[in-house]
Amino acid sequence: MKSVRKFDARPKLDGSWKFIDDYTYDGILHGQLLYSTCHHGYIKKINFPENYDLSEFTMVSPKDIPGENIVPEPVCDQPFMVDKEVMHYGQVIMGIAHPNRKLLLKFIKETKIEYEELPAIIDIKDCLDNEDNHFGKEIKIDHSIKKEPKVDWKYNHNIYYTPHQEQAYLEPQGVISVYNPRANTMFVRITAQCPFFVKHGVEAIMGKAVDEVIIETSEGIGGAFGGKEDFPSLFAGVSSLLSYKSGKPVKIILERSDDIQITTKRHPARVELETWTDPLTKKIKRCRIDYRLDAGAYQTLSPVVLARGALHSIGGYSIPDTLIRGRLFRSNTPSNGAFRGFGAPQAFAAMEAHIDRISADLKIDPYEFRKINLFRVGDEFPTTQKVVEENLSDCLERVIHNSDYHKKVIEFAEWNRTHKDKKGIGISVGYHGGGYTGNGEKVLNSEVKVIIDKDAQVKIFVANTDMGQGAHTTLAQMFFEAISHPREKCWVQLPNTSKTPNSGPTVASRTIYIIGNLLRKLALQIKEELGFENLEEYVKTHLQEFPREFHKNLTPDPSVIFDGDTNVGIAYKDYSWAACVNEIYFNANTYKIELKKSWNVMDVGKVVNEKIAMGQAEGGILQGLAYGLTEFFYKPGFGRAHGFTDYTLPTTLDLPEMDIEFIHTDSKIPKGLGEVPMDFPAPSIRNAFHNATGIFINEYPLIPESLLKAMEKDK
Amino acid sequence: MILKLNINNKFYNTNIESDESLLVVLRHLGFKSVKKGCDTGTCGVCSVLIDGKPRLSCQFLAARAQGHKITTVEGLGKKADAIIDAIVNEGADQCGYCGPSLVLTTYAMKKELKDPTVNKIKHYLAGNLCRCSGYEGQLRGIKKYMGVK
Repeated sequence: MKSVRKFDARPKLDGSWKFIDDYTYDGILHGQLLYSTCHHGYIKKINFPENYDLSEFTMVSPKDIPGENIVPEPVCDQPFMVDKEVMHYGQVIMGIAHPNRKLLLKFIKETKIEYEELPAIIDIKDCLDNEDNHFGKEIKIDHSIKKEPKVDWKYNHNIYYTPHQEQAYLEPQGVISVYNPRANTMFVRITAQCPFFVKHGVEAIMGKAVDEVIIETSEGIGGAFGGKEDFPSLFAGVSSLLSYKSGKPVKIILERSDDIQITTKRHPARVELETWTDPLTKKIKRCRIDYRLDAGAYQTLSPVVLARGALHSIGGYSIPDTLIRGRLFRSNTPSNGAFRGFGAPQAFAAMEAHIDRISADLKIDPYEFRKINLFRVGDEFPTTQKVVEENLSDCLERVIHNSDYHKKVIEFAEWNRTHKDKKGIGISVGYHGGGYTGNGEKVLNSEVKVIIDKDAQVKIFVANTDMGQGAHTTLAQMFFEAISHPREKCWVQLPNTSKTPNSGPTVASRTIYIIGNLLRKLALQIKEELGFENLEEYVKTHLQEFPREFHKNLTPDPSVIFDGDTNVGIAYKDYSWAACVNEIYFNANTYKIELKKSWNVMDVGKVVNEKIAMGQAEGGILQGLAYGLTEFFYKPGFGRAHGFTDYTLPTTLDLPEMDIEFIHTDSKIPKGLGEVPMDFPAPSIRNAFHNATGIFINEYPLIPESLLKAMEKDK
Repeated sequence: MILKLNINNKFYNTNIESDESLLVVLRHLGFKSVKKGCDTGTCGVCSVLIDGKPRLSCQFLAARAQGHKITTVEGLGKKADAIIDAIVNEGADQCGYCGPSLVLTTYAMKKELKDPTVNKIKHYLAGNLCRCSGYEGQLRGIKKYMGVK
């Protein structure tokens, strides 16, 4: 476990690292998206403002598309631009470009669109409470027993809601498309997580009009968290069409207010849980889960989020009789998409709150109740996958110890008896399956490439991007450490689809877990094949053999078999586990929850780079805590947030004292790390609030007005 | 309007529109370390120093900057090294988009806070948002740089 310094750290801090808006080309045009301000309806007329020379503008609409007006997603149902019917606020109607960005923004602001409006679903509960809004394929995970529950079992039934969450990457979405008419190629530079997704998007919209599409990321990707997974495909499609039509390079950088309003968010969820618990053994015997996501207007990649969410919805608990339904619901809001956690935070938000509710009803400490019901070796997930380790229990035990939980429970109860303000402590646990769900990694068939030059420099070619998570440093580290090669002679190249093989998207906590392990294996394979002890020495004595190229494809584990239709089998080969305890202070005058201290224990397997791993954990945990505590994107009467003035991100002043420990680091493999920190912390705040006040709240975020409402209702 | 700006101890003559923000003008002049994140004065990535004090350049009219000394991270040169090392040694830099503004603000904080404490540091940096790091690593490094335990 070494902490190799990030190769890009210094240039990022001294300002020399280039982000998308730092690139320019001769004759570049600025582009923007003209989008719908109507939630649902038909466009009657577009009125461009007078006093502008329209011949100076390049405009594209569906009639300009030489290929298909459908974004290639897992479900291909979203057009690049509105065809006939506007399905949601923020839907792209046209792309417009002009040499002067300021004038372009003014022109778009003054453009007025007349609509014939239709009824629209914009409220989260209106969407998720109405069965008529269900669309797409239902997921069923059936581990049920055809037997009625015993009458003395304790029945608990609750519905839990979670809101949108904005990724809030600090660098807005941006793209530059450069059409080369002589070569008939389209080059796209973009801040995105998945270059090959973008390539497929641009190929779809351009059809046979161009001979080749090449995607290269910008040097810096200013945060992503899932938000730059699928939207860039749509975005790059429009910019490429503008470049093709104008014959000039076109750069689109979204304004923050546009970015926050029209791009993908975390799916709002409604999770209905019914459980039956034996009051004597305190074992949960039966569970029925109805897991619903508000997909927005189109399905796009929501079925994949739904699958992961439903598969994680049982929490870390062994319940013999389980039936899970997962369904997507349609609303007239922009399609929701990927965000760190990918359906799992919504699942744990429900189950972890529910566990505390049952504990309260059975008058048992939430820790004791979890201990009784957590996964044990030999138990089964609802997919019939066997539980092979008790690392989740280990995380829980460790965090209870680290936080001095038992002592604090007693102390706080005593303190609360004599104070109007309250102190509270809450637990939550979670986990994250590494890599693509089910057979996804088999289908991806990821490939990596390495070139060793005459000076023994190793160039690593992967499609996986470094969006701040330190992936390119850690991937290189896994390669050079495997063969004891000098760090300064091993570099991951900037992803470019014409040079890098498709090693799959930078998603699903798979970059280090899948691609890093693949690179490590390739390093060892090269060592064995060439028979060297020291690569530099070998290259010196075999100069004529170099530069030499090596490739390796992922060999899927044959034991991983999953039936995607019945949801039976091994959904994820390896899981990262986590548990936390959070301590809060509730101010009875302001109704504000102050986070005092957060203890977290995680098993992410082998930790390759301690400091990078710690940074991932710290950042993810704060995002998770803010999800539960402060961040709201939409509420009735308020609408959608417009920027960081009304979507409040945590600052240095909101940071609790944080304690993080990794356990089981002697594992042979690094497992997924990117997402698990986001999955598990938020429910513990809700549980701590219950511990402090005796009041349960079934919704995030726990902002003062929600707490006031809940406490008034409780009176 | 013609403007004469003192940026990193060098004078630049530039022709701007009167409503142009300092952020737009600095980027146009090639100071790409100054980033645009929100344009509403909420994220802090556009921070520069005006006469040594951190200011949000997206909320600062360029015309108002004439006659003042503007410093971007490019202008700190070697003076930024100790701050950069402090942050990098903790592995606290992630996407890097907020990095230059954090370095500048920390530089100003060191000069301004005569008796720094953790609380004072947190207040000083509250306007510099970071979505990646959770601030923990940044603060570990900056506390060391500020000589605060």
